[in-house]
Amino acid sequence: MAKKKRYLLVILSFLLLFSFTACGKEKALEASKVTCVEDLKNVTIGVQLGTTGDIYASDYEKEGCKIERFTKAADAVSALKLGKIDCIILDNLPAEAFVDLNQDLSILEEEFVNEDYAICISKENGELKEKMNAAIATLKENGTLEQIQMNYIGDSTKGQYPYVSPSSVTRENGTLVMATNAAFEPYEYMENGEIVGFDVDMARAICDILGMELKIENIEFDSIINAVQSGKADVGIAGMTVTADRLESIDFTDSYTNATQVIIVRNGNEEQKASLKDRLYHNFIKDNRWKYIVNGLGTTLLISFFSVIIGIVLGFFIAIIRSTCDKTGKGKFMNWILKVYLTIIRGTPAMLQLLIIYYIIFASVDINKIVVAVVAFGLNSSAYVAEIVRSGIMSIDEGQFEAGRSLGFSYAKTMWYFILPQAFRNILPALGNEFIVLLKETSISGYIGIMDLTRGGDYIRSRTYEAFLPLIAVAVIYLILVMMLSTLVSRMEQRLKKSND
Amino acid sequence: MNEPMIRVEKLRKSFGDNLVLDGITTDIHKGEVVVLLGPSGCGKSTFLRCLNRLEVPDGGKIFLDDVELTDKKTDMDKQRLKMMMVFQHFNLFPHLSILENLTIAPIKLLKWDKEEAKEKAMELLERVGLKDKALEYPNRLSGGQKQRVAICRALAMNPEVILFDEPTSALDPEMVGEVLDVMKELAKSGITMICVTHEMGFAKEVASRIIFIDKGKIAEDGTPEEVFGNPKNPRLREFLSKIL
Repeated sequence: MAKKKRYLLVILSFLLLFSFTACGKEKALEASKVTCVEDLKNVTIGVQLGTTGDIYASDYEKEGCKIERFTKAADAVSALKLGKIDCIILDNLPAEAFVDLNQDLSILEEEFVNEDYAICISKENGELKEKMNAAIATLKENGTLEQIQMNYIGDSTKGQYPYVSPSSVTRENGTLVMATNAAFEPYEYMENGEIVGFDVDMARAICDILGMELKIENIEFDSIINAVQSGKADVGIAGMTVTADRLESIDFTDSYTNATQVIIVRNGNEEQKASLKDRLYHNFIKDNRWKYIVNGLGTTLLISFFSVIIGIVLGFFIAIIRSTCDKTGKGKFMNWILKVYLTIIRGTPAMLQLLIIYYIIFASVDINKIVVAVVAFGLNSSAYVAEIVRSGIMSIDEGQFEAGRSLGFSYAKTMWYFILPQAFRNILPALGNEFIVLLKETSISGYIGIMDLTRGGDYIRSRTYEAFLPLIAVAVIYLILVMMLSTLVSRMEQRLKKSND
Repeated sequence: MNEPMIRVEKLRKSFGDNLVLDGITTDIHKGEVVVLLGPSGCGKSTFLRCLNRLEVPDGGKIFLDDVELTDKKTDMDKQRLKMMMVFQHFNLFPHLSILENLTIAPIKLLKWDKEEAKEKAMELLERVGLKDKALEYPNRLSGGQKQRVAICRALAMNPEVILFDEPTSALDPEMVGEVLDVMKELAKSGITMICVTHEMGFAKEVASRIIFIDKGKIAEDGTPEEVFGNPKNPRLREFLSKIL
């Protein structure tokens, strides 16, 4: 035991040392080479994946530019600050919000492109589109839309006009599910754990007119159109510009506001280095940001726990059927089906399985996303557990089967009392390994908009533009979880070892 | 003579193209101690394993107390309770203690009370001189001890007949005696035994009947005196001359 503690200590002190050296790293970065639109040649441009900025920037690939596509605008901002890219093309208002928070960035005065924002809606939902258009027209006429805009945009008017639903509203016309990506201040962003912003208030105002309940799904920007197409969401409202490409797959309402694309660049002057204490405060204490980590941890544990249960139950089940088929030569068809299942599950990335289960299999079902993740990771794990268990069953001497059967035990009882306990002991290290992999694999839950541990850290990163502390904090938590899990497994091994042969 | 306990009619079994049992017909009565002899590969082990259907026969019939074991509708799990088997490689359950090896089947299958099963198990272990090993695991035991435990495991079920499949072949020579002693004592108790063994001393001294199997057929069948004293079959004479 003492030995174990010592090695834990070594790992932790190594991590600490690593953090301090990284904190002390000072590197003066040069100003961006880009000073006007003309300069967009042979530079690296950062964009948010699937935005109009992405589409426009792609035209500059011909000019020798390299395009770096980020799933979150905040990641692009971090990359710009670190000197990994030369500039960012982004919508003007979020760009201003980013520049406000980062003194070392600025926006070029020259505007890049003008465009209109609209709400995306499924092509098959013409009726809703008409209702939405009427609602937008009403909001424009009675000045509500302008007030909402003033509440979020403009230094003197910010926070002056919070939108309040009229008290007379009834919500008898069902729920409107809105897909958005809450990392696009001021249109949609997180504040104290809630999604707020121009688009959100507008959506609330529209729902008030239509007599509907608003439900917000926070997912990746490039998944929004998929979500609306598949019926996971009724509308997508995310500062989205109408483009020809998008119109091929989705319909849009009338425009509700316009915006411009601008270019963010890095200034030459060095930013003042914050102390570690300030950075800790900024990353974890301010606005209760630690809660994103704690809640995320809870979600990660929840998903992992139930996935492991499904994985074990289904995995043992499949393994028993498969080895019975192999042994008796019966049930060839069943065996074949299971083989196909195992091949598919083990032959495709878990992330794609998660997306397929969410967007295709459960497309038209209103289901909790955590349940979707549990199903996806449970099925994924079951395939690996099944093969591990089967190898365990095969490792048991045939004589054990014969001994059990000759005593009068049925096949199933022989399996249960004699084969599985011995197989389990043999495969415990491999099973432990599988559960460690599974725990870490759940970090892709963010792709369907689940706020798990990884996403919690990501979210903090998107607010503080600091990569180091949130990433390391999350990594350390995973490490601790995995170490606890492996300790648990080795304890079980010890306990079972006493009857070793 | 009373009704036979086991009746075997024209039993046939082959593995692929290899015909192992070629129409074996015999009766075994209660209380008999039958030793199966024969050159290796003659099918004597297969015959034994067919009796409790660990091997599924290709043809012929087996009756145990007038129940046809070769009938697919017969509940073999229930019939096997009357007919225990002792294996060449013991096949004790390594994850269970000696005591648990002996009590699990009576508790789970005969629904015995735990204390009752334990009492009976301890009694049996005392009989074979292994009472002090009750709480050990099989890996702590020598081969001879393991086989004695395996015999106890079979006896714990109060079977009508015990099948021995070369019970001493996997043992070091100095351990053969202790297992044979247990078997001799068992034979005196009147239980029906069918043994495949190469221990001629045991066969001569204990068996009430010797069956010589050659090329999947019964070549000679008689008392030890007849078989050893006056072997008629030339193959049997050759076999005996080689091992005696």
